[in-house]
Amino acid sequence: MNPSNTFCGRTRREFLWQSGAAFPALGMVDLLSRDGYFPGAVSPQGANLRALDASAVSAGGENPMAPKTPHFAPRAKAVIFLFMYGGPSHVDTFDYKPALYPLDGKTIDIDTKGRGGTKKQGRVVGPKWGFKQYGECGKYVSDLFPHVGRCVDDIAFVHSMYADSPLHGSAMLMMNSGRILSGAPCMGSWVTYGLGSENENMPGFVVMLDQTGGPISGAKNWNSGYMPALYQGTVLRPHGEPILDLDLPKGMTMREQRRLLDTLREQNEAHLRSRFDDSDLAARIHSYELAYRMQTYAPEAIDTGSESEATKRLYGLDNARTEDFGRKCLMARRLVERGVRFVQIYSGGNHNDHNWDAHGDLVANHTKHAGDTDQPIAGLLADLKQRGLLESTIVVWGGEFGRQPTAEYAEGTGRDHNAAGFTMWLAGGGIRGGTSVGTTDELGNRAVDRPFHVKHLHATILNQLGLDPNRLSYFFAGLNQRLVGTEGAQPIRELIA
Amino acid sequence: MRFAGLCPGFLLTLGALAQAPDVGVPSGGAPTVGALAVGALGDGWSYRPLQRPAIPAVATGGWARNPIDHFILQRLEARGLQPSVAADRHALLRRITYDLTGLPPTAAEIEAFLADGDPEAYERVVDRLLASPQYGVKWGRHWLDLVRYAETDGYERDRKKPFVWRYRDWVVDALNADMPYAQFLRTQLAGDELPSPKVSDLIATGYYRLGIWDDEPTDPLQARYDDLDGMADTTARVMLGVSMGCARCHDHKRDPLPTKDYYSFLAFFENVRAYDLQAHSVPADGAAAGYAAALAEFHTAHEQSRTRLQAAARSAWQATSESARTQLSLVAERELLARFSGDRLVPTELRDERGAVTGKVRGQVVAIDGHNAGAMRFDGDDYVLLPRLVEDSFTVSFWVRSDQPGPGQADDTRWFTGAGLVDAEVPGIVRDWGIAWHSDGRLVAGSGDPDTFVASGPGYHDGKWHHVAFTRDREAGRITLFADGLKIGEAVGSTQSLDAPKHIAIGRMLPGGAGFRGDLDEICFYGRALTEEEVAAQALELPGGLSAPVVLAALPNQAGERAPLQEFLGLAGLRPPTMAVVEVLGVQENGRSGPEGFVRIRGNAHAQGASVVPAFPAMVGGGAAEVAPPEGDRPSSGRRTALANWITSPQNPLTWRVIANRLWQHHFGRGLVRSSNDFGRLGDLPTHPELLDWLASEVLERGGSLKAMHRLIVNSSTYRMASMPVPAAAEVDPQNDLFWRLDRRRLTAEEVRDSMLAVSGDLNLQLGGPSIYPLMPAEVLATASRPEDAWGQSTPEQAARRSIYVHSKRSLLEPLLASFDQADTDTSCPVRFATVQATQALTMLNGAFAQEQAEHLAARLRAGAADLSAQLELGLALVTQRPARAVDRDRLLGLASELQREFGKSADEALQRCCLVLLNSNEFLYLD
Repeated sequence: MNPSNTFCGRTRREFLWQSGAAFPALGMVDLLSRDGYFPGAVSPQGANLRALDASAVSAGGENPMAPKTPHFAPRAKAVIFLFMYGGPSHVDTFDYKPALYPLDGKTIDIDTKGRGGTKKQGRVVGPKWGFKQYGECGKYVSDLFPHVGRCVDDIAFVHSMYADSPLHGSAMLMMNSGRILSGAPCMGSWVTYGLGSENENMPGFVVMLDQTGGPISGAKNWNSGYMPALYQGTVLRPHGEPILDLDLPKGMTMREQRRLLDTLREQNEAHLRSRFDDSDLAARIHSYELAYRMQTYAPEAIDTGSESEATKRLYGLDNARTEDFGRKCLMARRLVERGVRFVQIYSGGNHNDHNWDAHGDLVANHTKHAGDTDQPIAGLLADLKQRGLLESTIVVWGGEFGRQPTAEYAEGTGRDHNAAGFTMWLAGGGIRGGTSVGTTDELGNRAVDRPFHVKHLHATILNQLGLDPNRLSYFFAGLNQRLVGTEGAQPIRELIA
Repeated sequence: MRFAGLCPGFLLTLGALAQAPDVGVPSGGAPTVGALAVGALGDGWSYRPLQRPAIPAVATGGWARNPIDHFILQRLEARGLQPSVAADRHALLRRITYDLTGLPPTAAEIEAFLADGDPEAYERVVDRLLASPQYGVKWGRHWLDLVRYAETDGYERDRKKPFVWRYRDWVVDALNADMPYAQFLRTQLAGDELPSPKVSDLIATGYYRLGIWDDEPTDPLQARYDDLDGMADTTARVMLGVSMGCARCHDHKRDPLPTKDYYSFLAFFENVRAYDLQAHSVPADGAAAGYAAALAEFHTAHEQSRTRLQAAARSAWQATSESARTQLSLVAERELLARFSGDRLVPTELRDERGAVTGKVRGQVVAIDGHNAGAMRFDGDDYVLLPRLVEDSFTVSFWVRSDQPGPGQADDTRWFTGAGLVDAEVPGIVRDWGIAWHSDGRLVAGSGDPDTFVASGPGYHDGKWHHVAFTRDREAGRITLFADGLKIGEAVGSTQSLDAPKHIAIGRMLPGGAGFRGDLDEICFYGRALTEEEVAAQALELPGGLSAPVVLAALPNQAGERAPLQEFLGLAGLRPPTMAVVEVLGVQENGRSGPEGFVRIRGNAHAQGASVVPAFPAMVGGGAAEVAPPEGDRPSSGRRTALANWITSPQNPLTWRVIANRLWQHHFGRGLVRSSNDFGRLGDLPTHPELLDWLASEVLERGGSLKAMHRLIVNSSTYRMASMPVPAAAEVDPQNDLFWRLDRRRLTAEEVRDSMLAVSGDLNLQLGGPSIYPLMPAEVLATASRPEDAWGQSTPEQAARRSIYVHSKRSLLEPLLASFDQADTDTSCPVRFATVQATQALTMLNGAFAQEQAEHLAARLRAGAADLSAQLELGLALVTQRPARAVDRDRLLGLASELQREFGKSADEALQRCCLVLLNSNEFLYLD
């Protein structure tokens, strides 16, 4: 037996002392973080890299993934981002536009920009679903989302979102990393960089993809860009091996692996003995203990088998249609319960109608994707709420953009992309429920009242996590880089309870 | 200065969290650098002219081998420190072999070195390693990190950059050839503008095509400037150590770099033609001269045949009676189903000249003067739809003219990747066919189910009319493509009826594919496969048309003259000469004078500010560039040549310091300037400014020979020091700022993978060529938006090549390499991270590659030694490159016996597990 809380047979304090580290420094973490200094300190340009690397998984407070004190008292500890990849149509889901119905089939003058380019005219496709009022706030929600409709008093809608690109590739990068250019860290990377993770046995930022495949640009959507790979998203699978290379090889048991790891540790400790001041070597010894524990911990963390039947039903696990997304939502709850910071779940993958990208038949497309996700999403909100987790968890819903009020083609109901106005919603984590902020014009074409850019959404999420969006920075390429861009952005105040 | 006076040791412990905010971030205060006194260098040190410092005197005798040691020792002595002892021979051989080749030394190399008692034995090892082609593989990787080398564009489609691997090979070759550094930079910047560029010079300019590329930008002008920014910013950081990017939007906050200077620098690149997603064929070195002669010869022979045949056909035709002519024409033109030209084109319809078939015009097809009366002009998005006229045996012939190459890539000439000329494609594998205009003016044709293709050589986009015919013989399943009456090639495919298409499109690929830009005339459809003679008669426009061969065959022989029919066959045997070409992904410019440049206010490409001309940043001397276009009529401005001249000038204060620093960085684990891409005020100050300047002047002194610099650096006593702890020294200088020892380092991602292959015996050292595809776990493939098309396949031998050859796909990373901190390819990566993470342990313990390598290592051990004890000793020696110690062997023996005894493993399985432990050991992954 090897007590896991010792470090090569020594306590962490002894280790640090023997490593020649200046001890008073430990107290500095807190001091620095209160000053708001620690974010922005990692420089890939070379300075102090060895020191950074050494601490990457060492046993205690100097670990960059260890929980960090935020800039100010946080309202939320975790984020669950339900990414409706492909771009859901806002006028058919949450942005009620009565004026649009009577125009169905009429060609009107309207400025749009989408996949099909810039247009001055278009044939209106009236909303294909009716809207009903829900909750105390009386929010209109379309018949696509009867279950989510019942949660509106916990939800804040932003109807006046806009983004820089109406094209999937760049728009996905913008929603995930704040920029249309590839190469920047994603929001989950920023959050784990700023706050660390509360559970060293699990990755701090996990992503669950659709059964049909990843979104376009694949891993770029959960990549850590110019930050170390430590902060990138880890793909988690609901079936089979949950994390890449987590399962033991065929024919190996945990007990056997333990025996192997004991030999490895002895060998590595013998190697370390004459190199006692190298914390990288010690950290690497420790990383095997972490890996070993993760093998038991992670499968348990995502195992929904122990959940009650009522809980499973709540998420729609008893229905073949909702089972997949429901399971991922339930996994997400279990993960945030266990201290994972940022969970992203994709509804839709691959191309065309495998996701919300309804260019051809809007009715078939949205009926499918909304139907697959409505009950699981409502189940997630209800379950988080009944467990008191909604207070500390922000749930975000939306895609990379919305869709146009007019048709893309001469025939059919398909709508082209629309980045000039669309809806996102948030719930929990100190977000004011039953609120709607901003509006699009009466056709839902453009954000007109209180328009908010994607960066304002990002700023709001960081703010709720106790991070000042304009101070959370990382020095790279001669700039203090920020998720919200060098010009900064303020949170959307109306959303905050 | 809020942290001045803190014990520097805290940096070591806190690392990421506590990098003193005063270093490297613009939060104010004078920079502190390790143990170096602040203010000794002052602002803008790197912009001052390079001066060769005197070699300092040292008190300690007998340690210094060369001037480097004097610079290091003097500083150590000043702090009362001594250099560490020399590394032992095993450690030193291991270190130098990895540092120069990225590979572990082999058993034979170790043995030879240990047995060599010559005092110069180590120097000879250095020479041997520098002469190894694996040197270029190792150091090429450092350069590829800097220039953000990747083999795809990123974004939605993440397309492959065609033939980009030739750039990778160019870098490896240039380093192996010890190309002088100035030439190395100049060739990448402006190899195409050299007086007589070789193919390799053009390949080097692939430098400009390595970055991310959004083929569907939301704002094309802004995207254009993003691309130019990528070129300017990468050049400034990589070659000059200037981090310019922030001056794109506002004047640099710390360095004297106004926005105007940024856009003046950007102007050097502003004439570069936008990336067109294509490689371009260029004649192989020396091929063009021979080709011109061969082509002239061909044209002469072709013209002679044509003249003679026309004369013969004319007299034969005249000798034929009117009724016979009519009869012959009727026979020859039987099954001519339809004929279309510009003569019967109206805005909405294209009418068959024989009256039977009518095509629908989509868009606007314009009638112009054609090859013969009216032709049709297509501008890329207009086309004509015909009903399906043919399906079994048939011929389609027409005249085509264009001065633009088609879409598609030269290494993928499937017809449906081109622009449709006459096309009946149906997506998916079905019974379809088509003729298309392809890359570099190629004519291509094919049919589906199974896919069968024929392609011509390049160059038909010469603005002249060319005759094209495509025949399909259903019985034989044969398709044949003809150009200008000559058979280009044939292929055999399905014998089924090609009845899948509903329509035939003229001027565009059927289902919304690429459109043709150019002219078409006299499009004929026949319900039979014409013979070679008939096609030639049609293409040569012989009197009698398709009947000409029959008439000529009947012509009586004249004395001494071959039968004209034989001439047809001779003509058919005549082939256009082929020119050896190389597909090059390089740079092109838009013309001999570049556009006027402007400041773009706040980085907004649409907001033009003051006008700028190509000029060098004022902070580094400045001045407008003298620009002259290259000799001849090449469409290039010479701007990039002017830039290359300035960058590679011996007077440039940055270039030589920057490369000297990079050489140091990759031998010592960090640069003398730690921020090796930023020598400005936001970067770190050099820990040894005099040494840096001396090394920089030495690069110039040695003619830019990087190998000479390696020799100098690694032969120093400084490089040969041990890495072991010295507590007393660590007390004074815990960060080793003064180099009292050599820092231990982890293997890089590529070294980890390559070393596993090397010790297992699998490693394939083949150099160069298209990239390889190691087995990708299904779980990783599933993250791609098209999992089934996301990755390729290589044979096991190919998959075991060095990691530099692993296909670098921006949206799908090889998990082992990614996990060990491979460079991010979206921006220039000057310093790799070297993280330690639990996921690395998982990959090395449970991953399929680690398992396979452990298995192969075990097999190698079984083959190389008789009993388990000897096998484990061999394994330890392979992995650590030193003789096995008994204690290490016994530990593994204990494991092996326990695995057999308590876990029921076979002896082979137990050995394999021991091998897995060996591959996971710290000693394997770290270099002393």
